[in-house]
This record gives sequence, C-alpha cells and structure tokens, in this order.
Amino acid sequence: MSADLGPSVGAPGDVARRPRLPGGPAGAAGERVAAGAAASAVASASDRGARAAAVTIALAWHVAIALPAVLVAWPDLAAPAVVGVGWLVTAAVGGLAGVRLLRRAPLPTRRLAAVLLLVDAAVFAAAGERYLFTTANWVWSGLAWFFVLVLWRRPVRWLLALLGAHAVIALGELLGHGATDPADLTRYAMYVYGTSSLPVAVFVGAAAIAALARDRAATAAAAGAVAAERVAAERAREDRRSRLALVSGTAEEVLADLAAGHADPADPEVRRRCVLAAARLRRLIAESDDVPDPLLHELRAAADLADRNGLPIEFIAIGVPPKLPVAVRRRLADPLTAALADARRWARLTVVAGPDEVVVSLVTPDHDRPHATGPPAAHDEAGPVEQVHERDGEIRWTQTRWQKT
Amino acid sequence: MDADALAEDVTGAPPIGVAIVDDHPVVIDGVRAWLAAEPRLRVLATGDDPDVVLRAAPEAEVVLLDLRLHGRMVLDKLAELSAAGRRVVVYSEHTHPDTMLAALDAGAVAFLAKHEGREHCLATVLAAADDRPYVPPALAGAMVGDPRPDRPSLSDKEREALLLWFQSMSKASVARRMRISEHTVKQYVDRARIKYTRAGRPAATKAALLARAIEDGLVRPEEIGIYRSQAATDRPTP
Repeated sequence: MSADLGPSVGAPGDVARRPRLPGGPAGAAGERVAAGAAASAVASASDRGARAAAVTIALAWHVAIALPAVLVAWPDLAAPAVVGVGWLVTAAVGGLAGVRLLRRAPLPTRRLAAVLLLVDAAVFAAAGERYLFTTANWVWSGLAWFFVLVLWRRPVRWLLALLGAHAVIALGELLGHGATDPADLTRYAMYVYGTSSLPVAVFVGAAAIAALARDRAATAAAAGAVAAERVAAERAREDRRSRLALVSGTAEEVLADLAAGHADPADPEVRRRCVLAAARLRRLIAESDDVPDPLLHELRAAADLADRNGLPIEFIAIGVPPKLPVAVRRRLADPLTAALADARRWARLTVVAGPDEVVVSLVTPDHDRPHATGPPAAHDEAGPVEQVHERDGEIRWTQTRWQKT
Repeated sequence: MDADALAEDVTGAPPIGVAIVDDHPVVIDGVRAWLAAEPRLRVLATGDDPDVVLRAAPEAEVVLLDLRLHGRMVLDKLAELSAAGRRVVVYSEHTHPDTMLAALDAGAVAFLAKHEGREHCLATVLAAADDRPYVPPALAGAMVGDPRPDRPSLSDKEREALLLWFQSMSKASVARRMRISEHTVKQYVDRARIKYTRAGRPAATKAALLARAIEDGLVRPEEIGIYRSQAATDRPTP
C-alpha cells in the first residue's frame, strides 16, 4: 500500500492530476490585478513629492517674482488692468490645479490649458513693448510652470505643444512691435530656451521616476506573491510529509502485528486500528492541492483532529473553492466542525466546489444525543449560506451550501 | 439487488464470466473472494496483463481493470478494450475526479474506487454485465463536480441526486431528503450517468449502455439527439 502512495502523492505519472476548475486562472488574474493596483499606488506616492515641488515653484514664482515686478511697473504698463486680471486668473488656475494635484483628483486639463494660453496672449499684448523682455511681462517666464501643473501626468508632447504655442505668441508680439534686430531675436531665442528647459526637465523627470517606481513596485508585488505561494506549498508539503510519517507508522504497526501473529484479525480492536489506518492513508492519497485553499485547510484540520481522537474519517474534496470572504468561510465550516465533534464510529466529510457554488457535508451514523450545532439556515450580507441539519435514524447529515448571488 | 439479474438466475442462466486484471495479487485474491460469494458471477481469469488475461478467457463478459498497472496509467488500453466492446469496470485507488472522468470518456462502463467495498463492487459488476449503469458514490462526486466546459448538462434534480448520493452513500437517505422514492433517486443518478455516454470518444460500450437505457425506459429515444436542450426537464419515467 505504501508503495502505491509515492506516485500518487507527487509523481508525474498520474493522469491529469491538476484541477482544471476555472477558479485557478481567475485567482491568478486577481492577484495580478492586485499587484497592478499596488504598483500604481506606489507610483502615485513616489510622485507626490514631485507634484508638491511643482506646485510650490509655480505659485512661489507667481507671488514672489511676478507680482512685485507687475506692481512696480504698474503705471507704465500698456494695459495694467489686463495684466492684473491675467495674474489673478493664473493664480486661480494654479490654486485649483495645485489642490487637485495634491489630492490626486482629476483636472479639466484642456479647459485650463486654453485659459492659460488666452491669458498668455492677453498679457503679452497688455505689457507693452517696453516691458516685453522684463519680469513685468510675467507670463513669459512664469507661465510654463503652470503648464506643468495643468498637464501633470499627461504625455510630454502636450507640454511641448503648449510651450510651442507660448513661443509663437511671444514671437508674434515681437514681430508686432517690429523688434526684429538680430539682438532681439537672439534674446528671444534665449528666453524661449531659458523659460522652457527647466519645466520640461521637471516634467519629464517626474514622469520617469513615477514609471520607474511603478515598475519596481509591480516586480516586488509579483515576487512577493510567488514567494508566498512557494512558502505555502512548502508548508503543505511538510504537513503532508509529517502526516505520511504518522500514517505509515500506524499502518506498519498494524500490518507488522498481523504478520507476526500478535494481532488477531477477528479482534474488533485490531479491526478498528486497520480502519483508522486505512482512512488516514486514503485521506492522504486524496490530497491533491499544492497550495491549500483556506476552507479546505480548515476542514482538513478539523478532520485531522477528529482522526487523532480515534474517529475514522473520510475527507473528499472535489474542485477548488473560489476566494470566499472570511464570514462565508466560517458559516460554511463551523457547523461541520461542530457536528464533527459529536460524531460517533465514523464520519464522511465532503466538499464539492465550483466557481459559483460550494457545498460542504458531513455524514455520521445517527445516535441519540441532540445536535450540538448552531442556529439553522442563515443568510448574511456576504452571500447566502444555507444550512441543513437532518437525522433519519440511519445517519446524521449536516450540510452547508454557499451559492454565488 | 437487481430484479432482472435475479430472475435470470432463477431461470438457470449461466453465471456471468468476470476477468480481473490487477498487478497486486492480494487485490485479485480479495476481489475473487468477494465475487465468489455471489452465485451469479464466476471469475474466469486473472492476471496483470489485460491481453494475456483476455486470451485466456475471451468469453469474459465483464473485465475488472486496475487503472494503474506496473506504475503506468492504462487509459489507452481501457479505450482499446471499450472500443472493441469489452465491458470494463475500472477499479482503482486513483480517485481524482479528473481520472474518473477520463476513464468514463475512454469508455469504461463504471468506475469503482478500491475502498468502496464489496457491495458496490458486486452491484457494479452485475449492472455492467447487463449494460446497465451503476454509479458508486465516488463517481457521483466526480460527475457532480465536473468542471469541464463541455460536460453533459444535468438537470437540477439529477445534480442534486448525484450530490446527495456522493455525500451520504445512502439512497434511502437521499430519497428522504429529496422527498422522492429510492427508485426515483436511482433513476436521476442513472440518467446523469447515461448522459455521460455522449462525452468523449464513441465506444461500443457507450452505445450498449445507451441502448439498454432506452430499452429500460430510462431515457426516450427522442431525447438522445437533443440531450443538451432537454436537460432541464425532469420527468421520472414510470
């Protein structure tokens, strides 16, 4: 008998030993989704610093550098009111974008970008020729930071497009004022480069860091899942090995006694020992899950306990239960473990599981004592678990059934 | 146990010839002892090679076949024998549901788990000799938990009868629980089994089971071609 045990416990010879329930792949997909969610959470957390920095730079520049320059130049501006209103509008856009960014709320990107471009053109025109290249024409140097805020986490080409439009507006203004000297054009080029390069660098850098963090977190999560599975599988193997040792011990002892003539097959006690050893062997052979499902694990533990108390018990599980909430699992398993404590002579514990239904049943010989089990049929918020207790003089039957709603 | 088989015995029909193929002599001896107690059965040949055994007893009506011989699963041999019309009862300690269903697909008349004992063994062999289905509890479990997308579609009653039979191993208890007669429980279980004759590759044994089921009124001929759409109707035949 023990010679047969080897192959069925783990050798490749057995045909189609792996369960083929759809539950398997779905579970793996679920883990991948969870890993993906964890990765994006990590990415957004690592991105938080960059967002705070961008918001700070934009608003500090706007308040500490642009505002004083505008106020100083106020009387000489071509249309000071327009410049002032533009400043206020931009401050409002920056404030809104900043709050939304820090709270990770979505932004109306297109509309804010349009508002910023409008302010850009208006302020360029309203600043006047004299202030074209000065800080009082604050949009030229400061607006790019607001572009960065508004376009956060968008593709970098959107930022380049906005900066391009910004440069075209500036060039139009330059040409409109007839400032076409080589010196003016050189200054223009330097301004465009100077005002764009830093925001672009910050923008690209933040995006790269976020992507990197996301990758790394996804890898770590996947590696963690694999490691957890391996630990569980190893533990299951250890469990099985120790049970095999126990089982072979009892079986060998009985067989040796029988062979040596110390034990009489007619003796009820010897027969009981044989039944117990055989039941243990069968349960061990029937175990085919490499990574134990929590429900099966719980039931198996209860079966092992009953077995240690000398009750011959059969435990047969067909199919793999889907991932169930703890409350449902409790309602499925608890009435059975309670009934098992009450069992006499023998017990048959079965599980039939599919993605939409799990039925657990315990059948034992009937006896006179009342049921020591909990309340009958119950429903709870995590899905209905039906309970049936029956005794018909022949057997006692406890069944729990969960169905997907 | 079975009215028809009993009647045949009374009328003096010759006993049913059985061949046993197993690579463990102790199992052969045990099964032979079980079958010896049943006058309607006679063991004609035993051994560990199906070809040798069947050469010795070509007239054997039922073959009890251990699915694992000398460390190898002999599903291919099972399919070959079934295709040739041999009524093979697979007798194995390998009771993984996938293995049981694979054996049915290959054409086994029945699948008996080695621990299921004398009563089921006799009932299975007697039923097999008549091309009648017999579903021991372990096989019922495999059928009710069949996860394959192309599995035969069973009616709710058939599923419930299979499930409760698997759980309790007592048709009387199933009958009480479902509030139907034991006879009807057996019909639901057997009809579920007959639906499995349409799964897997065709085999002479499957056709024989189906033909006998029609003869017995277990299924109607018009249901055969449209099993899948008829699965929802639950009409116990009289």
